[in-house]
Amino acid sequence: MFGAFGKQETPKEMEEILNDTITPQELEKFEKVYMKELKDKKCVTAKTQFEYAWCLVRSKYGADINNGVKIFEGLCKDDPDNKRDHIYYLAIAYTRMKDYTTAQKYVQAFLEIEPNNMQVMLLDEHIEKELNKEFKKDAAIAGGALLVLGGLLGVGFALAKKYHDKKKPDEEVRKNEPAN
Amino acid sequence: MLTSTIKLKILVIGESGVGKSSLMLRFTDDKFDPNEQPTIGVDFKVKNLEIDGQRIYLQIWDTAGQERFRTLIPSYYRDATGAILVYDVSKMNSFQKLETWLEELEINTNRNITKMIVGNKIDLQNMRKVDRELGKKFAKQQRALFVETSAANNINVQTAFEELVKKILEDNIFDDQNGVAKSDIRLTGMSDSQNQQPAGGSCTGGYCGR
Repeated sequence: MFGAFGKQETPKEMEEILNDTITPQELEKFEKVYMKELKDKKCVTAKTQFEYAWCLVRSKYGADINNGVKIFEGLCKDDPDNKRDHIYYLAIAYTRMKDYTTAQKYVQAFLEIEPNNMQVMLLDEHIEKELNKEFKKDAAIAGGALLVLGGLLGVGFALAKKYHDKKKPDEEVRKNEPAN
Repeated sequence: MLTSTIKLKILVIGESGVGKSSLMLRFTDDKFDPNEQPTIGVDFKVKNLEIDGQRIYLQIWDTAGQERFRTLIPSYYRDATGAILVYDVSKMNSFQKLETWLEELEINTNRNITKMIVGNKIDLQNMRKVDRELGKKFAKQQRALFVETSAANNINVQTAFEELVKKILEDNIFDDQNGVAKSDIRLTGMSDSQNQQPAGGSCTGGYCGR
C-alpha cells in the first residue's frame, strides 16, 4: 500500500542544499586543475574557473566560500553568457556565509530576469525567513535594552520619589514653623 | 518491517531538457510548469511515503543536464541507492546518451545502485522517435526497471517513483538500529550492513531483502 504520511517531518529542502558540503578530495581535484592552468597558461578557462568556484562555495570553510565568491564575481564580467549560474551561486555562497542581505540582492537580481524560477524562489523564501529571524532577534535585543532603560528610569523615578517624599515632611515641618 | 523511517537517496539524471525537474515536481508537488528553466547544478526535494506500512523518507536529487555541469554532478552521487535515468521519447539522441549516463553511474557509485530507465514526454505522440519496445529492451539489457511517463499529463509518474522505491527495498538490507534517533537511521547497502551485523550474520530484525 502506498500513501503519504503526516507532515511531522516537514521537508527542509533548502537546508539540505545549503548544508551539503564537498569532500576535501573532490575540492582538491578541481583545485589542482585550476592551479595547473594558472601555472602553465597564466590564464584559467571559464570552465575551470566555474568548476573550481562551484567546489569552493560547497566547502565547509568560510575562507573557501569567500574565494569562490571572488571567482564568481569575476565570471559575471568575463563569462556573461552564463551569468544566471554565477548569480545563483553567489546567492548560495552569501546565504551559506549568513550574509543574508547581500544574498537577497543577488536573488532579487535573478528573479527580475526569471521571476518563476523554482530553485531561486525557494532560496528567496529561505533568505526571507532568516532575515525575519534576525530582525526579530534585533527587535528582542532592542526591546530588552528598552526594558533595561525603562527599568533604570523606573528606579530613577522611584528614588527621586523616595527622596521627594522624604523631603516632604521636613518641608511641611518647616512650613509649620513659625516664621520669625 | 522497520519501526523507524528508512531514508533513501535517489538521483535523477539524463540529458538536458528531457524533463527531469518536471518529473520530480509532478511527483513531489503535483505541479507542471511548461516554461521550466534549466536546473542550475542540483535541485533537491523530499517526499514521505508509506509502502506496505513501512515509512520511507525519500530524498530526490535532481541534477542539471547541461554539459557545463557534467564534471561536477558525480560529486552528488555518493550514498545514492537509486537512480532514475530519463530520456525524451521524441529525441533519439537523449536515448542514445543513456549509455554514457550509465557508465558515469558505474564509475561514481561504489555499490550496485538500483536503476530505472524512464522514457518521458509520451504526450508528444506525433513526435515520438524512440519506440517503447526499444526502450524496454535496452532497460532489460541494463538490468534496470522501465517505464514510460508524461510529466505534463501526469501519466505513470507516481508509479515510476514508487516502483523504484519498492525495488530498492528488495535490493537492500536495512538495519533497524534500536535506540537510534529516527533522523540518524541510515540506509546501508548489502556489504555495509553485513559488516555491521553481529557474528552469525543472520538478518537481524528489520527489513530483510532478497
